[in-house]
Amino acid sequence: MKKRLYLELENCIGCRSCLAACTQCGGHEERNRNYVYDVNPLVNRQTMPLMCLHCVNPACARSCPAQAIQIHETGAVLSALVEKCIGCQNCTIACPYGIPKFDTEQNLMYKCDLCIDRTKDGIPPMCASVCPSNTIQWLTEEEIDAKQSQFNLDNDKWVTSMPLEGETNVRVNLPGILQGVTKLF
Amino acid sequence: MTDKNNKIPFEEDNYTHNINRNNERKLDRRGFMKTLVGAAGVFAVSSLPWGVLAAKELNGLGDKKYPKQKITDVKSLAVGDSTDFAFPGEHDSAILIRLSESKYVAYQNACTHLRCPVFWKKDEGEMICPCHHGKFDVETGTPTAGPPRRPLPEIYVKVENGAVYAVGVKRYEA
Repeated sequence: MKKRLYLELENCIGCRSCLAACTQCGGHEERNRNYVYDVNPLVNRQTMPLMCLHCVNPACARSCPAQAIQIHETGAVLSALVEKCIGCQNCTIACPYGIPKFDTEQNLMYKCDLCIDRTKDGIPPMCASVCPSNTIQWLTEEEIDAKQSQFNLDNDKWVTSMPLEGETNVRVNLPGILQGVTKLF
Repeated sequence: MTDKNNKIPFEEDNYTHNINRNNERKLDRRGFMKTLVGAAGVFAVSSLPWGVLAAKELNGLGDKKYPKQKITDVKSLAVGDSTDFAFPGEHDSAILIRLSESKYVAYQNACTHLRCPVFWKKDEGEMICPCHHGKFDVETGTPTAGPPRRPLPEIYVKVENGAVYAVGVKRYEA
């Protein structure tokens, strides 16, 4: 039963539970690997979580000269392999969403790896486990299709992950007001 | 979205460039270097026993100690004569030659060619192996003629209280 991460952005209440969960997750060394953004800063209070979208053809891994960023068989794009990463920060520049973070002390890139130790066994990632507002969900393909059918937009505008830079393994529900015209990231 | 140029232009992943975890090479460059260095380390460590042996030899710890053994009385061996004995074991036949009033030499007398017994030819002043006419220098035990290529093992002798004693065997050094 393959499940995907699904972001239903308009549910976000800005509680930053996902950041706290990521921070406290084992192996993350007290550093979170995801983000909570203000959608319209100083205009309204709407926030949105953003973590790695795990591109099918990830720019970060393609740009890595040491092939330190690997694609797991589940489709998750892993964090930089410690023994391979040379700290060139190409990935931080290449990523269209600005996901990879750089640790200047260790000279090492680190990024969300979809909690691969959990998701490889079908357990939802930490951020999805703790999200109180159902913004970050862990759904099967059928459930994601059902989500789409809830929206009766007669202009076929409801899309998941399509206005983004490329196909991603994490599906994003883009609220109607943002479809196609305004880029979020 | 079809106007976006975000396709992989060609199949990029091959043996030397790969970003799929399952296609990771079993032995990458670093693993290869680690193997090399590790093997070198294993060889280095495994050669240490030879160093210990060498140190033992250099410090003389490898010399075997044999209990000193009486060969004969000084009175019963005239100058220029020889006598047979066995040292250090009962099957290690040896020969003692009195060259002068105070100089004695002793050798294990198994010829270094094919272990025939080596005799002392008093009138010719040399040690001869009768099997293939190998000759040995009586002063040092080194071969001077015939097939043998290695010296006879020398036995250290000591004169005490009118008797000649065998006290040790000189280590063979090639």
